[in-house]
Amino acid sequence: MKIRTNQFGVIEFDSNIIIKFESGILGFEKLKDYLLIKVNNNDIFWLNSIEEPEIGFPMISLRLIDDYYPREKDHDAFGIVVMNHDILKITVNLKAPVYINQTTKSGYQKILDSDKYPVKYNLFNG
Amino acid sequence: MLILTRKFNEEIKIGSEIIVKVLAISDGQVKLGITAPENVEIFRGEIYEKVKQATIEALLSTKQKTADLSKLELNKIRKIIDRNE
Repeated sequence: MKIRTNQFGVIEFDSNIIIKFESGILGFEKLKDYLLIKVNNNDIFWLNSIEEPEIGFPMISLRLIDDYYPREKDHDAFGIVVMNHDILKITVNLKAPVYINQTTKSGYQKILDSDKYPVKYNLFNG
Repeated sequence: MLILTRKFNEEIKIGSEIIVKVLAISDGQVKLGITAPENVEIFRGEIYEKVKQATIEALLSTKQKTADLSKLELNKIRKIIDRNE
């Protein structure tokens, strides 16, 4: 398969790497199929829609931020990042993690019922 | 919109598997108990909206000129423990 993404141009991939979000991402419930794209060798990822390839969410692995972040069995937790040219204004959503099982190629988003985790958490200190 | 009036301890059934029960009423607040299958997501409306807005903002932010994600110094990330300092 082949899609044209905003971030990476045309990407060709095998359909067996598609990650299925049965319930979609909150606010984007109609989109179910995504590619998880790892940027270089760091813990930044892009969750890129296959159905609407111009839609891609930057994400960061949440284990970088909190060693005790709620785990889900066999899933990795990611937070969607709001980018900014000023790194001090970059925020990550800790309230609504995206959980992905990279073996079964499935994922879902949760909203945590805890005030400990804000929707906009500043990624860097001033 | 379907509008129903319920009293304390009364329920509403939605389909065969979802029950919403009025557990307490006081000072302009209603406490609801919800029974639903595990695959049914239940959110407070305003939190859902907040999350949705943040996700839209994330998407729009990728279309602006931003710091280079791949060059972020992730070793300098603010750990959640910082908040207690």
